[in-house]
Amino acid sequence: MRNLIPLVFLVLAVAFAADARRGVTLPLPGPSGVTMDDLHLGPPRQALRDPPTFQSGPYRLNCSECHALFPSLAEPRVPLLQHRNVVLNHGQNDRCYNCHSRENRDRLVLRGGQSCGFDDVPRLCAQCHGTVYRDWQNGTHGRTLGSWDRASGRQQHLGCSECHDPHAPAFPHLAPLPGPNTLRMGEQESEQAHGNERNPLEKWKARHADAAEESTRGREH
Amino acid sequence: METAQDAAVSPSPENSRRSFLRSAVTIASGMSAFVAALSPLHELDADDVPTLEGFLQKHYKEMGPGEMQTALARIKREVDKRYSVDSVVRDVRPKEGVEFVYALNLSRCIGCRRCVHACVAENNQSRSPEIQYIRVLEMPRGTIDIERGNHHYDRPTVPDLLHYYMPVQCHQCANPPCVKVCPVEATWQESDGITVIDYDWCIGCRYCEAACPYWARRFNFVEPEIPKEQLNPEISYLSNRPRPKGVMEKCTFCLHRTREGKMPACLEACPVGARKFGNVLDPESEVAHILREKRVFVLKEDVGTLPRFFYYFDERYPRPEGEPALDPLHADEAKAR
Amino acid sequence: MIAAREYARFLWRCFRVSFAGDWRYHLWMTALTVVALLGLNAYAKQLVHGLGTAGLSDQVSWGLYIANFTFLVGMAAAAVMLVIPVYIYRNQELHDLVIFGELLAVAAILMCLAFVTVDLGRPDRFSHLFRRFNFPISMLTWDVVVLNGYLLLNLHICGYLVYCAYRRRRPSKLFYIPFVFVAIVWAVSIHTVTAFLYVGLGGRPFWNSAIIAPRFLASAFAAGPAFLLVTLWVLDSYTDYVVPAKAFATLKNIVTVALLINMFLLVCEVFTEFYTDSAHGVSARYLFFGLHGYHALVPWIWSAIGLNTSALLILLLPLSRRPALRNLACLMLIVGIWIEKGMGLIVPAFIPSPLGEIVEYLPTWNETLVCLGIWAFGLLVFTVLVRVTIPVLAGRLTIDRLYSPDYTRRVPVVLDHAQPTPEVLP
Repeated sequence: MRNLIPLVFLVLAVAFAADARRGVTLPLPGPSGVTMDDLHLGPPRQALRDPPTFQSGPYRLNCSECHALFPSLAEPRVPLLQHRNVVLNHGQNDRCYNCHSRENRDRLVLRGGQSCGFDDVPRLCAQCHGTVYRDWQNGTHGRTLGSWDRASGRQQHLGCSECHDPHAPAFPHLAPLPGPNTLRMGEQESEQAHGNERNPLEKWKARHADAAEESTRGREH
Repeated sequence: METAQDAAVSPSPENSRRSFLRSAVTIASGMSAFVAALSPLHELDADDVPTLEGFLQKHYKEMGPGEMQTALARIKREVDKRYSVDSVVRDVRPKEGVEFVYALNLSRCIGCRRCVHACVAENNQSRSPEIQYIRVLEMPRGTIDIERGNHHYDRPTVPDLLHYYMPVQCHQCANPPCVKVCPVEATWQESDGITVIDYDWCIGCRYCEAACPYWARRFNFVEPEIPKEQLNPEISYLSNRPRPKGVMEKCTFCLHRTREGKMPACLEACPVGARKFGNVLDPESEVAHILREKRVFVLKEDVGTLPRFFYYFDERYPRPEGEPALDPLHADEAKAR
Repeated sequence: MIAAREYARFLWRCFRVSFAGDWRYHLWMTALTVVALLGLNAYAKQLVHGLGTAGLSDQVSWGLYIANFTFLVGMAAAAVMLVIPVYIYRNQELHDLVIFGELLAVAAILMCLAFVTVDLGRPDRFSHLFRRFNFPISMLTWDVVVLNGYLLLNLHICGYLVYCAYRRRRPSKLFYIPFVFVAIVWAVSIHTVTAFLYVGLGGRPFWNSAIIAPRFLASAFAAGPAFLLVTLWVLDSYTDYVVPAKAFATLKNIVTVALLINMFLLVCEVFTEFYTDSAHGVSARYLFFGLHGYHALVPWIWSAIGLNTSALLILLLPLSRRPALRNLACLMLIVGIWIEKGMGLIVPAFIPSPLGEIVEYLPTWNETLVCLGIWAFGLLVFTVLVRVTIPVLAGRLTIDRLYSPDYTRRVPVVLDHAQPTPEVLP
């Protein structure tokens, strides 16, 4: 019996050596593949500056240059003859001359008839969106890039049209980037399959699910 | 040592020689099995083996300027060699009179997860497995119980109109449970409110990970893997330098950027401006305005962590009837006019 | 100088005795060594590749290692609780049980320290504990202090008593009685401190309950003496050491009462979680009934409850005077309490995560091998300690006597500490 003990240890030693050759592979989840190029930092839109210009073929023209030549409809409707890319989805604000000056296309117009430049767009939007404008002045609405420090002079507050398309201001829906894929995560459902069935709010929502979807769809996000 | 009295088992010379031989062979085979058991250690790279320099390095708070320079030089050497870059490794200290606060507008967040991935790119997190400091929860309307959130939503587009989205990351709590429980003081809170980790001091016990009520801390269970071309070479000691295996890490509000006035990466990536960051000690900062005027709340307030991360909606508090809308800060001046 | 040489010679003789035994002994020791080496090999792999070789994740960051650590701290604490009937109630017959209890405590604490070390991400930075120690704020630092203190305490007490028996000298009360009383209090403290590790975390409502510490103690005082009972039965049956029947009876009573209290505390916990029916009870729901389709722990906890209840019933009945049934009950409750402390306490607190995510935990083979290896190492240490202690206490291995094993001869050797021992020869 005792003579077998060295044999046991030698077999074990050989087994360890052979196993060490094989190495260890761990089930590591791979990367999501997202890089900085997918992230688009900086202002989302290129807003029109003062004076506004329009690219027509190889020419960069002021708005008034064309509009002096060509008359516009009294009450334009989309889709326009030119500017075919304009999609109008601004709620009840569906009249072009609410904002655009009928006489001078290089300028915008306020409700009282005052002229307003393209660099002064927030003043125009503030007429209807007062609460949002107030927040924007404080910096609590919109994006502040550059620096959090007001004293540094590097703060960059984006104007309304640098994020929102003035004709269709609601943000387009985006495709979400990949979710978490962590070590040993196991099976995870992408739909919240479990609610709390006893919760009255859940029951009412289920009952009125269709109506709820209808009403939220029309509302500005 | 051995006297005649200790020839315990059998007295005859023949037997004692045999038993000596047997013991010797048994011991030799036992030792060889022991050494063979340790054979996987041959896979350790040179950088994994603990060095004397690493052993002698002091805790961050105890390091003098010379020692810090040595440590930074060592880190630069290691990073440059491993990732074939020319990194800039610094120790970025907090500014005076600054306490950082983060605010997140739940009326605006659309759940696009761009903040999550901007953070991963900025902070040199492992890609395989991909460590993400920020978790975006898709919450059903009508609850703020974060246990009802879905982390793994995978829709063609967001936002889904029956949900709202709540990103969660380290809240840099003013009463942090993670700092309380660390046995070696490898994590502590700095003067500007950021809770930091000394990656060269952490022993990897993961007590802080168990203690955090917001699941904000991450552990390097394996050697972090970052593709060379995706490494961010602007590095600081306490935040985004590539971490070794076996230590904790977490969101540091991008202190290597924010302590120099810049915005954190997650905020810059947010396409809808849902994230707000700044110095709450400045009464005119955006975050100070939010805390004064907006309906803010914090997560798990009952746990008493006093987070510095506030969630809010676009609604304001109601005003008394008839009173014109005034910024409360300048109310006195307006009244005087 | 002579004293040091004498002590060194004592250690050498102990070392040699630990290799002497019959074929069953050698089989047991070889098997344990093989398992310990397998564990060492698995740990070497973990050192190279990191804790990713274990089934842990950011969501469930503590698993089998800490579960075993928690269970073994309890065992270590309980072993010393035998001290109370002997020293406080002056039950001289059970005097030697104290030594075996403390030897078990030494082995258990060594296992605890090993489990904590293998759980660390950077064991090479162990020295940081001595350079910046977050005492008294961090409960882990308390744990470091009390566990090591307890180890030293027990090493001193049984080392001193055994060495005195070897020297055939009456032990001086000053050198061990105060330490014994300190050990009683310290035993309670090591398990309380370990419980406080978990209890103080507000972010984990499953742990953040005052009942955790009492439950720890109750289950420890059931499992520790049960293990000792089985060990003494093995010694009684397979060696010539005779354990008085009173020892078995006392141990059995301790185990029964502790198990009763443990079951009562379980009922308290279950009532609180399920009657309140709040969101704080979600981990308990996961543990007992599963949650949203995840139910990995449900069979474990119900098996544990079944084992503990059956063990309790057996122990309460007079049947349990029969060694076979008594041993069965003890083994059942050891397994049941191990499951309760491990799967039933550590893992459910992490599921769901504080953000509501459910990621289940399954230990990997590598992790399991490391655990088995440490258990084997602990049993090796315990076996060696007992193997050395019995001949010394029986007077067969003393400073002036040749060691003679004579393990085939089943003549009862009764220890009689009431008799004064002869003075030591110079």
